[in-house]
Order: sequence, then structure tokens, then C-alpha cells
Amino acid sequence: MALLATDAIVLHAFDYLESSRILRLVTREGGVRSVLAKGARRSSRRFGGGLDLFAQGTAHLYTKPGRDLDTLAGFDIARSRPALGEDLGRFTGASAVAELTLRFGGEAADGGLFDAVSNAFDAIAVASAGSASTATLASAWRVVAELGFAPATDICGECHAPIAPDATTMFSHAAGGTLCQRCGRTAPAGRLLPPDARHTLRQLLYGDDSLTLDEPSARAHQRLLREFLAEHLSDGRPLKALELWEDRRW
Amino acid sequence: MSAIDDLTGELARLPGIGRKTALRLTYHLLKQPPEQSRRLAEALRTLSDKVHPCARCANLTEEELCSICRDPRRDAAIICVVEESADIGAIERAGEYRGQYHVLGGRLSPLDGISPEDLAIPQLLNRVDSGGVREVILATNPSLEGEATALYVQRQLMSHGVTVTRIARGLPVGGDLEYADGVTIAQALSARRAM
Ligand SMILES: [Zn+2]
Ligand SMILES: [Zn+2]
Repeated sequence: MALLATDAIVLHAFDYLESSRILRLVTREGGVRSVLAKGARRSSRRFGGGLDLFAQGTAHLYTKPGRDLDTLAGFDIARSRPALGEDLGRFTGASAVAELTLRFGGEAADGGLFDAVSNAFDAIAVASAGSASTATLASAWRVVAELGFAPATDICGECHAPIAPDATTMFSHAAGGTLCQRCGRTAPAGRLLPPDARHTLRQLLYGDDSLTLDEPSARAHQRLLREFLAEHLSDGRPLKALELWEDRRW
Repeated sequence: MSAIDDLTGELARLPGIGRKTALRLTYHLLKQPPEQSRRLAEALRTLSDKVHPCARCANLTEEELCSICRDPRRDAAIICVVEESADIGAIERAGEYRGQYHVLGGRLSPLDGISPEDLAIPQLLNRVDSGGVREVILATNPSLEGEATALYVQRQLMSHGVTVTRIARGLPVGGDLEYADGVTIAQALSARRAM
């Protein structure tokens, strides 16, 4: 068994046996990991009461090659994020980003992914009730980009030809984004993306944190994100948190 | 499937029991006199036949109403809202609380697909609307999910003319109500705050 000390964020926590908890973490040096926190429900001594959802700190893990579950030896908390629980828009948004990370992330060291998730939670935590969905959209797309399958917005996803900024294009989830006119004609399925929606997608992906989408366009972009992720899911299991976030029935 | 596989399979579904332990328990039962297995089977059957949620507060009971809801000495004007029935036991052990309860049946957890619709919130609003309730104490776990649940319930109660309080943070963050000691629970209850 090897001891790994690494930056980590709690993405999911559930009770295990009498008094333990299984946590799913995104870490800087070990990617996405499942860890067993023995006695975490009963005593906060070893883990300092810091093992809450979306908390960030240094995790000390015992790892063993070929084993699915690491053992958590300790967790030094750097910060908790209670603000993510203070509004259901933020709570479901952060949960959707956590879910996306858990479903697409691997066990390889990935500092970029770790930072994207950390920035995502920080951005969603300070978002107002009206801007939580935009902050979540931007965060989710940036996590997708770190995971290596950002959609093409300015060149054709198929033939890589440049696309005019004012063009209405076909957006194909299967082809990985925007298509030029020629490739768009032969694409089996897709969604027409007007130039302003494509511009918004670019802003969500690459910057402009001052952006706040109005209700109809936030809805349209939520749908676009959901369809894009569904296309890239290999196992067909539903994205429950993402559905709740998009649903907003509360 | 053989009878041994059958029982082993069922036992292995219980929390904390793996395949190996399940097999060991099965063989243990086979070595005992048959009456013992019959008593166990009977106890399991009675459990699922008799125990059900209280019609008022969803605490587990064998009657229409649980013993707390039936007790005339309990103050029906105060309702303490908890995530699970097991939390009631923890608060009762502290021996300080004299009001009634309401079990939500879980906490908000988007990653587990648990949304407000999965919790017994409409039933709580009905109890408050039917009159005589002065205060609702939100005693969900002191975790982020428990806080999110408490805030959500508080917002639902806002227009229902009742004082809403939250148990204080005497409880360890990220901990579990079920495992807190009585003193901690008593302190957290007495230092509850308005929301
Ligand atoms: Zn093309
Ligand atoms: Zn009852």
C-alpha cells in the first residue's frame, strides 16, 4: 500500500456500514477516486469534521493497484463551501458539475480538471439566485473542456474548416460540435445554432464571467449541454443531478 | 437456485454483510435446531406486517399513530423535523425535548436523485395548516445536504404563519445526528435559532 497526499474535493458522500462513509473525490494527483472513511459518521476526530460535500483540502490516501476503494487516512480541510447549500439553484448546479466529473473523470493525475472543479464550485458559490444557472453552465462546459471533449465552436468539428462568425450552423453532438455548411448537409442529426447562441457557447467555454443569460437562453443552453453529455455517455445511466438542476421544479 | 444460495443471497443484501459472512450465517443457522430458524422467520414476518410509518409524523410504529403522537403530555404545538426515524431515537435519548416530530424520509441529494418531491414536505405543511402548531424546529443533519434541506423546508413554511427554528451548530459539521451524544444534542436543541 502506498500513501498519497493530494489536494482533494469531496464530490459525493454516502453512508457505509454502521459508522463509515464512502467518499468520491476529485484529486490533483490521483484523478477521481472512491475512498473509505472509516468511522466518519461516528467521530470527527480523524477527519476534523471536514468531510462535507464540496469541501476542499489535503487527502491522505492509502492506495493499492487494482483496488476500487482507497482508504482515507486523514483529511486536512482547507475550506468548506456552505454557500453551495444555501440556494437550491447553487446546490443542484454544483451537484451537476460533481456528477459530470465523477462520470467522465479517470484515475490519472489531472491538475487542470482539479482546478476547473475547484473554480466551478467557487463561482457557483457566489452566484446570485438569478445567475446560478449561467455559472453552472460555464463551469460544466469548462470541466468538459478539461476532460478533453470541448465542442468545436469556430471550426468545423468534422473537416476543421473555419466557420464565419455570423453563420447559422448545424451543431452535431455526435460530431463534437459545430459543422460547416458542407458537413452539416450530410450530418445525420443535429440542432441549428444561430450565431448569437454559438457566441454564448464560446463565452461559456472560454471566459467572460460577467455573463448572465436570460431564462429562455439559459434553458436552451441547458438542453444543449444535456444532449451533448448524453451523446458522450457510454453506459446510458441517467445524469440524475443534471436532470434535477435542469428541471428546477422547486 | 438452492435454498442455501437463496438465503445467502438475501443476507448479503443487508448492510455490512458481504458474501462470505452471509454464507457463514447460513451454515450457522443450518447447525441450529430448526425452531430457531422458524422463530427468526416469524420475527421477520411480524416486522414487515406490523411496523409501518405513523399516519401523522411517519415515525415507525405498530399502531395507527406512534407512541409520541399518542402521548397527551407531548406538546403538539412544536414539531421537530428530522431526516430519518432513527434520528428521533437519538433526540429522545437526550431526554430534553417534549414536542412532536415529523420524519422527512431523507434529505435533498441531487446526486442520488433525491429531490423535494421525494420528501414528506406536503404532509408537514398540512400538519401546520391544520392549526395548533406554534413552532417547527428543523433538525436535519448538520451537513451541507442537511442545511440545504432545512433551508428548502424553511422557505416552504414561510407563508404558513409558524415560527421556524434550526438546531444550533453544537453538532459536529459533517457528522451524523444518529451518532451524536445526548449532551451535544441537548445543547444543540436549546441553542436553536430563528430562521
Ligand atoms: Zn466541415
Ligand atoms: Zn407519530
